[in-house]
Amino acid sequence: MADCALQVTGLSKRFGRVLGCADVGFEAAAGEALGIIGESGSGKTTVLRCLAGDVAPDAGRALLRRGTEAFDLFTVDGPERRALRVATVSIVYQNPADGLNLRISAGGNVAERLIAAGWRNFGKIRARVSELLARVDVPLDRMDDPAGAFSGGMLQRVQLAKAVANNPALLLLDEPTTGLDAAIAAGVLDLIRDLLEESGITALVVSHDMTVISMLTSRAVVLRAGRMVEAGLTDQLMEDPQDAYSQQLVAAARGAL
Amino acid sequence: MTAEPVLAIRGLRKQFVIHAIGRQVPALRGVDLTVGAGEHVALMGPSGAGKSTLLKCVWRSCLPSAGEIWLRRRDGGLVDLAAADDPAVIEIRRHDIAYVSQFLRPDCRRSVLEVVGRAAIRRGLEPAGAAATAAAALRRVRLEEELWATQPAVLSGGEQQRVNLAAGTLCPPRLLLLDEPVAALDSGHRETVFELIAGLRETGVAVLSVFHDAEAVRALADRVVIVRDGRVAAEGPPDGTLDRAAA
Repeated sequence: MADCALQVTGLSKRFGRVLGCADVGFEAAAGEALGIIGESGSGKTTVLRCLAGDVAPDAGRALLRRGTEAFDLFTVDGPERRALRVATVSIVYQNPADGLNLRISAGGNVAERLIAAGWRNFGKIRARVSELLARVDVPLDRMDDPAGAFSGGMLQRVQLAKAVANNPALLLLDEPTTGLDAAIAAGVLDLIRDLLEESGITALVVSHDMTVISMLTSRAVVLRAGRMVEAGLTDQLMEDPQDAYSQQLVAAARGAL
Repeated sequence: MTAEPVLAIRGLRKQFVIHAIGRQVPALRGVDLTVGAGEHVALMGPSGAGKSTLLKCVWRSCLPSAGEIWLRRRDGGLVDLAAADDPAVIEIRRHDIAYVSQFLRPDCRRSVLEVVGRAAIRRGLEPAGAAATAAAALRRVRLEEELWATQPAVLSGGEQQRVNLAAGTLCPPRLLLLDEPVAALDSGHRETVFELIAGLRETGVAVLSVFHDAEAVRALADRVVIVRDGRVAAEGPPDGTLDRAAA
């Protein structure tokens, strides 16, 4: 069970002249799911990619506490950074092609993560992969099918299985159900909700969809054009948003909530 | 009854600032209110008076504009909910306060038993005992067992309300907030819920409720507070206060 707290301060990133994010800061308690709400271009994906290690920030700290140890994600380099991606900080991408190798099997994708963490016994690997795929409701008779043959919803499930394979301290979810058909999205959302509750993992959920944020998170921050405009309890943000932009977002979503 | 109140609200004000129309809408204009352990205080008043907003400020789904909301927690500590940070509020919601609103929609796509079971786990119960606690809570609100496997969205308004009540009352909190808990119930189920609320009050739970129904208030409340236009207009025992308010 992950026992972790995340504290991000002053996170800033520019891509040439384009602002990714500026001075973003927030905290997530151990076992908490924190929402990052924003529309396209808000900087929410930039924040996640910095935390995942895909992109190096220009400034900021991301203190990850696990038990008694704490370290700044942004000061970790090279092989140590890759090691973090294997067992400590996992990301589920909006586009499964970014998180999976579509040419290899579903089971193979999950196994890769275990092997990177040091698993060697083929039998044990296969058993653990079966267990993980069963947990995310991927039929076991598809374990050896190439991932490229799977539907979008199934691919998100495989991404989730891979992401939690090594019991990471921090799980990052980038628009996990965007682009999926409504019924499929609902199933994936329920799975994420159940996984988060059962595992007690600390998670960041990035979404423009208020239903997703409401379902999965207890606190959230609102980003606009790379900057934070508001933060609060998720139900309070939905019920009583203070900032003008937050009010627009909530009002626009009101029909769906 | 202990001398120190469980809940002490002082000078509570709330304005809703609606940027799209550039207006401030005042909802609460300076409310003082206390609720003691084992005491049931009922809020009554015209629609739009600010009663539900008051409960939401205590629960912190609305942010107070000014004033203090002092809660004396189970462990004896005192906290001002109006000033507490979000993580503190989450902690307090888990252990000290329960909120049952007619507007709260239970988790979709989970069965009734799961919804109430998850509520038990969030309150700190072990998963092993959660199902049994959930079942007991559902029996207390007399929700038929054959409905426990269904999803709340399929149930009638009154049945959903009883699911909300079961989830909100399965572990007696320090402070129970109730917003029209029997509005959708027929008379038989109303009686059941009245007994449930009275029973909780007897175990020392402080209850702050909103009822539009004078009969419910007479049956349940120790004190009634009439809220009008965001202020306390009158306060006192149900007999007397209600008659004066009606006059």
